[in-house]
Amino acid sequence: MSLERFVAELDSFYLDAGTSLASAGDAAAVEVARVEFLGARSGRLKGIQKTLGALGASDKPAAGKRFNEVKEAIAALLSNAQARLIADPSDPATDAIDISLPGIPLRIGRLHPITQTIRRVEEIMGRLGFESVDGPEVEDERHNFEALNIPPEHPARDPLDNFYVATASRGGPLLLRSQTSTVQIRVMECRKPPLRIVSIGRVYRPDTADATHYPMFHQVEGLMIEPGTTMAHLKSVLRYFASSFLGGDVRVRFRPSFFPFTEPSVEVDMEWGGRWIEMGGAGMVDPAVLTAVGYDPNEVSGFAFGLGVERIAARRWGVADIRDFYRNDIRFLEQF
Amino acid sequence: MIISTSWLNEYVHPGVPMEEVVLRLVMAGLNHESTHSVGLDTAVELEVTSNRPDCLGHIGVAREVSVLFSTPFYIPQLHLTESNEPAVDSISIAIQSPEQCSFYSARVIRGVRVGTSPQWLLDRLATVGIASVNNIVDITNFVMLECGQPLHAFDLAKIDGGIFIRHAFPGEVFEAINHKSYLLENSMCVIADNSGPVALAGVMGGARTEIGSGTTDILLESARFDPLAVRTAARGLALSSPSSHRFERGPDPQSIDWASRRAASLILELAGGVLFRGAVTAGNLPADLPPVTFRPERILQVLGIEVPIERQTAILTSLGLVREFYAVDGGVDGAMRWRIPSWRRDLSREIDLIEEVGRIVGYDTIDENTSIPSKPVERSRRDTLIRRVDGVLVSAGFLEAMTTSVVSESLSRLESPWTDTESLRIAPALLRGADRLRRSLLPSLLVARATNEAAGQTHAELFEVARCFMSSPEPLPVEPLLVSMVCSGTFLRAKGILEAVLSHLGVLTKIVWRPFSSKLFIPGTAAELLIEGERVGVIGSIAKGVLTTCGLTEPTLGFELRLDLLEKPMDIDCPITRPSDFPSVQRDINLVVDERLAWSEIETVIRCEAGPHFESLCVRQVWRDAQRLGEGKKSILVGLVMRSRTGTLSSDEVRETIDRIVSCCVTRCGASLRA
Repeated sequence: MSLERFVAELDSFYLDAGTSLASAGDAAAVEVARVEFLGARSGRLKGIQKTLGALGASDKPAAGKRFNEVKEAIAALLSNAQARLIADPSDPATDAIDISLPGIPLRIGRLHPITQTIRRVEEIMGRLGFESVDGPEVEDERHNFEALNIPPEHPARDPLDNFYVATASRGGPLLLRSQTSTVQIRVMECRKPPLRIVSIGRVYRPDTADATHYPMFHQVEGLMIEPGTTMAHLKSVLRYFASSFLGGDVRVRFRPSFFPFTEPSVEVDMEWGGRWIEMGGAGMVDPAVLTAVGYDPNEVSGFAFGLGVERIAARRWGVADIRDFYRNDIRFLEQF
Repeated sequence: MIISTSWLNEYVHPGVPMEEVVLRLVMAGLNHESTHSVGLDTAVELEVTSNRPDCLGHIGVAREVSVLFSTPFYIPQLHLTESNEPAVDSISIAIQSPEQCSFYSARVIRGVRVGTSPQWLLDRLATVGIASVNNIVDITNFVMLECGQPLHAFDLAKIDGGIFIRHAFPGEVFEAINHKSYLLENSMCVIADNSGPVALAGVMGGARTEIGSGTTDILLESARFDPLAVRTAARGLALSSPSSHRFERGPDPQSIDWASRRAASLILELAGGVLFRGAVTAGNLPADLPPVTFRPERILQVLGIEVPIERQTAILTSLGLVREFYAVDGGVDGAMRWRIPSWRRDLSREIDLIEEVGRIVGYDTIDENTSIPSKPVERSRRDTLIRRVDGVLVSAGFLEAMTTSVVSESLSRLESPWTDTESLRIAPALLRGADRLRRSLLPSLLVARATNEAAGQTHAELFEVARCFMSSPEPLPVEPLLVSMVCSGTFLRAKGILEAVLSHLGVLTKIVWRPFSSKLFIPGTAAELLIEGERVGVIGSIAKGVLTTCGLTEPTLGFELRLDLLEKPMDIDCPITRPSDFPSVQRDINLVVDERLAWSEIETVIRCEAGPHFESLCVRQVWRDAQRLGEGKKSILVGLVMRSRTGTLSSDEVRETIDRIVSCCVTRCGASLRA
């Protein structure tokens, strides 16, 4: 038997079975049609199935695929016909409902994807004993630079690279914070170790807005200061975080880098979808920072890390343009 | 920094493919940007962090390779032939602004032939993407890319008198070798002669003294400029160059002389001429860095990895550090002292040496399964408050928006419920035209709603939790935490949502509602919320003018709450009340009252007077009909629920409660009962 003939037989079977099932007016008629077409012993489909063996080996995959498609389609038509008869009882007094009509839409609110990401980070870090802390967005130079070991001649302090408040202030120049490490300084200034905190919030840097940059974004900064803290703790905490956040056993990689407030400093990569993805920066808190807040670097040590929230969120949901996070189009926001 | 593979191979032979070299460099701190072929050579672009100016030259990168692969590297040996005539007779040098230039040196070469560079030099520069100019300029660029020290060659014949290193005069005009003119500022540093600037120090040479085909005599500059002065000029004039990039990071001071001699020898070799004796110098080179004390056990304490002392010592030695042996080396505490090479001025503390050992050993050796002891974490009151607020709003179907903290001047001028002081201005603007720190979130949310409206989505119902900014006599501005919401519908719908929020915070009963007049809202349709006399929120129908400013046409309601002020009164831990086991009785009464009487007054009276069996009340309907009720009257249909905690209410008890309620409404509120 040729493949063409087999398919033609299937098609004619499909047409006949569909017509019979659609015109079946009562349960008995549906049952008659079922036996005729799908009967286990001598139904027409069974007959066609037997001819499958007569096909050439090269035709078998295509024929089998088509056979299964038709079989499933007729099974669906049969259950529709049976459902129609149940929903269409003979008692005309009952109010019939077209159950296929859509329900009255329930409007569900949603948290912004950035908030959802922040909450998830807070939850994971909370399990590791990191407490969420908060601080001002307009900062002085001590907290945004000096205490973070960023001296006046450092390029990061260039007025063109920061949003300085133009209105004069009594306490010296003010600027929109360029990192949430400022909060760590504020916490360390008024608390003593041991300390495990995570500060998450808006930060501001003059970048031209494009698909991967926005002059306002969110940063997660983690800080742990406890006697005996080493880079192994840092790596292990980040690995725990990455595995919890991304799922599975995620590996973490450190590449040496340079930040004024950590030494040693590293870039953190996490393995995501078979690739190393740059997630942020980290390192051991620089002794100068510990000294600046009145800690003794010989007694305590600690680590700090920073991650960009937009970057994580964009990856998690496949957002190609981070400006979408701030357009507030409800068609975008409704999807999270 | 673009590295030419064949150029690098002149100094070091790691014996492995370049890809492997690059991978090791990446894992040691030089990020890989790209690799591409240029002719027979391969260009590898590496990102060099600002603390590593030594890697802004091929020799520095070769040194890293040599350390990582434990293989020797070679620095070219220099043999200079000088004439007997001293260079100092040809030129005088005076540093007038030592804070901008601590050291300046110049060599004099006379009788050179300016021309095209040989092929090998052209190839080197082509690979790293530097355009060839002529043999002299190409050599200065080559040496800069070799050792990281920028050089500049002047046409000596065109220098008018001696060389001065000084601040630019305000308003002084300088024509650079790119033949563009720049207006200089006093903070910038120039190399000048009697006629004016001949170079913008560390950034770019000048057109007047540039090397041309007619040049025969050369003044070769090699100097040390202050990073900040160079950056100020380069950024201020938008004139960054490979030279300014290096000076901003501080090249190796010892390479100043090496680079000058290296360039001179190449010039003699490729362009001929006679090198005059010695270098003319002014100023001083920085002192050597003091030795650093290093405790080997700190490696384990900081990095968490065991590295044998021999390996630590070998790494530091290979990086060019020299162990200093003093009387009792190792001492009681086993500390060592290390002298720092001139090209690694970033190494000034023990922790810097620890990092060096760590990055060469490799951070992949750090354990990633070290547990930390568990620790309880309490959620802050503020976080609890925010979660309660957004929980209600999300349940009510609202989408959380996120808008920028900085708005345009026109938005910032809209009235803020929280302050009359001017908004704070920032520079530069965050986004085009947005340079004001916002004093309220409502305008931003209205704009977000307008954006949706313009895209065909009317009725966008949004909220946002964020800070606003108010100038203050304190050192820092005040940053109240707000929640703001915009929606469609009626005032009572918006109020219902607001009440749900307040109720979920346990503060609803503490709120006093008062009519509020503000340019934000349509007159007579707004309320302010007070706790102990302090405004904590506003709600109302947004005024037409405000909608127009925000680009919105659809009528909109909005509220804004001061979450910072609700943090203290928030009361969420109060014990719950056990529901009564007995049935309720519901009755409606229809009161006719004066139009001016507020519902809250009736409610207060009923709650106070209703007695023990009263449970709750609601407003079912308010209507007016001058003919049937009389002018200035309204009818309020009040639903009452009565119930006892101790038993089923009898009809007498119900009647007694209703009578009492009616009677107090009549006597205290001037109400009459309508059948």
